[in-house]
Amino acid sequence: MKRFRWQNIYLALVFLVLYIPIFYLIFYSFSQGHNMNHFSGFTWAHYQELFQDQRMIEIVLDTLLVALLSSLLATIIGLLGALVIHRVKKPMWKNTLLSLNNILMVSPDVIIGASFLIFFTFLGFKLGFGSVLLSHIAFSIPIVVLMVLPKLNEMNTSLVDAARDLGATQPQVFSRVVLPYIAPGIFAGFFMAFTYSLDDFAVTFFVTGNGFETLAVEIYARARQGISLEINALSALMFLFSLVLVAGYYVLNQYNSSKKGRKRRMEANHNR
Amino acid sequence: MAEPIITFQHVYKRYDDTVALGDIDFELEQGKFYTLLGPSGCGKTTILRILAGFTEASEGKVTFKGQQINRVPANQRQINTVFQDYALFPHLNVFDNVAFGLTLKRTPKKDIKRRVLEALKSVRLAGYEDREISELSGGQQQRVAIARAIVNEPQVLLLDEPLSALDAKLRTAMQVELRQLQRRLGITFLFVTHDQGEALAMSDEIFVMSDGKILQQGSPVDIYDEPINHFVADFIGESNIVKGRMVADYQVQFVGKQFECSDAGIPAHEPIEVVLRPEDLVLTDVAKGKLTVVVDTQVFRGNLYEILSHDADGNQWLIHAVHKAKVGQEVGIYFEPEDIHVMRFGESEEEFDARLEQYEGDD
Ligand SMILES: Nc1ncnc2c1ncn2[C@@H]1O[C@H](COP(=O)(O)OP(=O)(O)O)[C@@H](O)[C@H]1O
Ligand SMILES: [Mg+2]
Repeated sequence: MKRFRWQNIYLALVFLVLYIPIFYLIFYSFSQGHNMNHFSGFTWAHYQELFQDQRMIEIVLDTLLVALLSSLLATIIGLLGALVIHRVKKPMWKNTLLSLNNILMVSPDVIIGASFLIFFTFLGFKLGFGSVLLSHIAFSIPIVVLMVLPKLNEMNTSLVDAARDLGATQPQVFSRVVLPYIAPGIFAGFFMAFTYSLDDFAVTFFVTGNGFETLAVEIYARARQGISLEINALSALMFLFSLVLVAGYYVLNQYNSSKKGRKRRMEANHNR
Repeated sequence: MAEPIITFQHVYKRYDDTVALGDIDFELEQGKFYTLLGPSGCGKTTILRILAGFTEASEGKVTFKGQQINRVPANQRQINTVFQDYALFPHLNVFDNVAFGLTLKRTPKKDIKRRVLEALKSVRLAGYEDREISELSGGQQQRVAIARAIVNEPQVLLLDEPLSALDAKLRTAMQVELRQLQRRLGITFLFVTHDQGEALAMSDEIFVMSDGKILQQGSPVDIYDEPINHFVADFIGESNIVKGRMVADYQVQFVGKQFECSDAGIPAHEPIEVVLRPEDLVLTDVAKGKLTVVVDTQVFRGNLYEILSHDADGNQWLIHAVHKAKVGQEVGIYFEPEDIHVMRFGESEEEFDARLEQYEGDD
């Protein structure tokens, strides 16, 4: 009983420490003042300001576009990569490929960003939307591979044999058996890639040019110029958006895992 | 004899450093129940995989209805498989699992429904079509796997140890059901098991395998009564095997005594092994027995007493007796000449068959 209480207090403390800064930020987005020293009355003004800030809205849309495009493309490329790695039979080659993938996962964003910058300038590639998109795709691919591979490894090879046995051609085996089986891994990879792209700062900071900004970079720039509570409003909205994303992911997972049980129950009710 | 539906001709299968199959040669006739029987790792699954088309023979010829099929891909063979782990598709429910093959063939929806329900009924799973796979017991999953295979009306059904994961009672029930199903469908079953009781109970023909080779082929009775060598005798049921020597035709010597037997065609003085099945040994008085043994242990098995005993030379004798004996008691063992089965060392199946034919003709 006592231990149970201590655990709860510990958890509450940790979450408090983690969430207080965010709520502090959100709290002041409704403040009439121009700084976060003391709360001086409720207002929507900062939100109105934000929605009239043409530049900010464009940046938000650009950021979403980059996130969506990069995560989609990274999912496709990463899926193909995972399939290839899965097919490699020789343990040495497989381990080499996996290590190459994992090194990209753990290497610091700063180094990835810097090396992309060197790479793009070396090629004479114009910095901007294209370079940001490419680098986001690049750092998202390993994430997708890492989410899809376990699903492939977990899949029993006799499922493929069974499908072949029942008359499926190679593409049919893939679309009707392999793809549905690893779909949760693909979705998870896509979501991860999407969020990584959304909140990436370091890599983007390096490879973005003059004409193109993402949210993270813009907020950084504005924060350096001095605090504007418009940033707080934006942070609040982004926090809300993340909540929706997490909830969506949760619901999707719930749906996948309970589809079976629910269907069964509905059936039972139906029969009654 | 009818044209065989399947033949293996000198088939070899090698992996990097192991020989999984060495010179496999057999024919399967239409509509019979065949069993590949052998210990784990002897190559049973490999034979099925070659037949189903999941892997290719390294050497030799595989034919289906007279046509060589070595290079025909798995999805174009009129052969279906029931996998050892069932390999049901977890993302599809029972109906869609069973319908999988028919859907691929673009069978009309109405026909699919009729045939799937029919197949489910034939494995006694009517009413389960909307269930998810995860909601089924092992035995039910196993039936779905069978339904999924037979709904495609294959000419040959391959079953890889389909009953090994079931508990003893269910297994016995499924043995009977599978046998009935095979008779009803009239198609060829090639069944794989490492359980000799299962093989004896179900098969028309058994292939006993060891180390990538077929040691003996025959009906359950043939294989049980006339095992070709020590391995087969030991693997197929319990047996007493002792070394001996041929004296003359129909005369054999073992444990220092000479006995009348029913084997012939073996040169005199050749060293041989003798098999005596425990259920052929009858407990009797020492005076009436052909052998005298001392009872070591006795276990009651419900329908019989399993008695372990030894003779003066230290040979062990297992006896299945109807009546009890006393531990430590000296008893006699009686058996008929035809209960003695003589095995020669290193005799091939062809030589064995030839010899059998020759001296049985003499009678
Ligand atoms: N893919 C493979 N690679 C290497 N060796 C294999 C492979 N498949 C089977 N073998 C070997 O072939 C032999 C026969 O295997 P298998 O046919 O599965 O035996 P069984 O089904 O009778 O237990 C075994 O020694 C096994 O190790
Ligand atoms: Mg096997």
